[in-house]
Amino acid sequence: MVSLARKSLMREWPRYLPAILAICFAGVLLFMQAALVLGIFGSAAVYVTTSSSDLWVGYPGTQSVNLGRSINADVEYLLRMDGNITAVEPLQWVDADWRSPQTSGGVSVYVIGINPNQDGLVFDQVLDANVRQLLHEPGAVIVDRADLGQLGVETGNWALIDGKSVHVVATASGLRPLGGVNIISSLDTARQLTAGRDKTRATYWVAKLDDPKNADIVRKQLLSKPSFGSYEIWTASEFALRSQFYWMGDTGAGVAVLFMAAIVLLVGLVVASQALMAVVISSAREYATLNALGAGMAALRRVVLEQAAWIGSIGLVFSIGVSTLLLSIAHSRDIPVSITYQMILVWVGVVLGIALLSGLFAMRGLLRADPALLLR
Amino acid sequence: MNLQQQSGTAVPALSASGISKSFVSGLVRIQVLNHLSLNVMPAELTLIAGPSGCGKSTLLSILSGLQYSDGGKVVALGEDLTGASVSELEHFRLKHTGFVFQGFNLFTALTAIEQVELPLNYLGIGKREARERSIEALREVDMFHRANQFPAELSGGEKQRVAIARALAKKPQLLFADEPTSALDASSGSTVINLLHKIAREHQTTVLCVSHDPRLIQHADRVLAMEDGEIRRDWRTESDFDINEHLHATKGIH
Repeated sequence: MVSLARKSLMREWPRYLPAILAICFAGVLLFMQAALVLGIFGSAAVYVTTSSSDLWVGYPGTQSVNLGRSINADVEYLLRMDGNITAVEPLQWVDADWRSPQTSGGVSVYVIGINPNQDGLVFDQVLDANVRQLLHEPGAVIVDRADLGQLGVETGNWALIDGKSVHVVATASGLRPLGGVNIISSLDTARQLTAGRDKTRATYWVAKLDDPKNADIVRKQLLSKPSFGSYEIWTASEFALRSQFYWMGDTGAGVAVLFMAAIVLLVGLVVASQALMAVVISSAREYATLNALGAGMAALRRVVLEQAAWIGSIGLVFSIGVSTLLLSIAHSRDIPVSITYQMILVWVGVVLGIALLSGLFAMRGLLRADPALLLR
Repeated sequence: MNLQQQSGTAVPALSASGISKSFVSGLVRIQVLNHLSLNVMPAELTLIAGPSGCGKSTLLSILSGLQYSDGGKVVALGEDLTGASVSELEHFRLKHTGFVFQGFNLFTALTAIEQVELPLNYLGIGKREARERSIEALREVDMFHRANQFPAELSGGEKQRVAIARALAKKPQLLFADEPTSALDASSGSTVINLLHKIAREHQTTVLCVSHDPRLIQHADRVLAMEDGEIRRDWRTESDFDINEHLHATKGIH
């Protein structure tokens, strides 16, 4: 079978280039948009996603990790009594004011007090054991290297948090939250910083399970037990999503992102369909001849659709290449980007969808393939 | 002389009775065909000649099932095309007709042999048979040696011969040609019309050709001279009819 669509693309690729580039650019824009959204809003849940805890226990109705309030310490006993739970530790959250000789005025920061031991759960995916153990030093803190400029310090410098001295012992990457600066300290340091304020109780208790797949079951079991105070339990993925959705909804960014995506889709669709239609129209006489010879309009439409599918596939390959390059540049510059398999699958579907839709629109070009018009 | 002259008692391959066609141009309705009737006999080359705008191409498009007439009846190979749907007409054309146009209309991305194979794919013919038929058709038009060339590498005459092979490979019972030599030089034009004549004789194909090219008349079995939407003269070139006289008498055939 002679594949007219494929042969035309191979032989006359410059004519199809505008359509391919339109799909490619739309693909890159959508990919980077999605990666930035996941990166930026994913950082709202960086505490959850970079930790090995499977369950999070916090104040009832907490909408986002950064909005936690202190809870009753008795929750620890509830968790430790459960046979599925292998490790339990608290997390202390402190809103504070940072000052250093290099900053004019204060910088609002979140001090996150964590278990500094090797087996600590919180931030264990971004802080290795060697770095964590540095937090045992009283007043020691770790900051994200991308925040050094904002905080006006270098590794080894001293600064003040709420008037108390802290020592920047190390930097790490992947600690940046959404809308603030994270300062990581040990639980002891965090308690010292809040001494005198009624905030010495843990903000969250986190737990690790022997089998993370049972997280939801264990959560329900714990909730059915007699109350140990006022608290709510979430699985890690649930709490991460809850935080991300809160930020997307609260900031209006969700609507803005959808709006931007719609514009990108529309522009990609219009440019690709117009470019493809121009190619179809330029071959209208040949299509008309095929129709005169008996190839039905449905068959000719399939040719256009096949061309659109090829254009989509080639555009997709190009956009994967460009997006990968942009992603590595973003990573190297600590720009918050993130991708997931689900996102990639949806993205591939959307890009191919744009191409096929543009093919459907371009079919209008076949209206000019009237064989009667070939007769003069 | 009877203008709708019939050839013996053979059953016509194409038959039109009382067909009319008009087009609206601006506020004016132009009557292109006016209650025209004719029979086209099988296995011969029939030429419809006449000046530009006389309605000969419109007649060809109606007889070949490319468009509908406003009135009258068209029967092709015993099938009534008058009430057929678009898809029925497509199916009829796929099964029974071949077309050769003035503008060749070859796909620039396909080689000569692929141009010929492509319509066979739509007929559901297998890859191997399609290739064999294409080779055979290209040999018949003496273009097999150029089978792997693209249209850009072919002369006008060669392109038209590929277009004829494309129509021929379908083994159609009806072959329609619209001004097949108008874009060609004398030599290429002669080759093309000889081919069309040969196809009619050797394949028993009914070839209906529309042209204002006077060189074609001597190659046709039968000539229908059209003017103002009507057939004014109808003669057979095999008869002792004086062609030159007709050339002189028939307007538009210079």
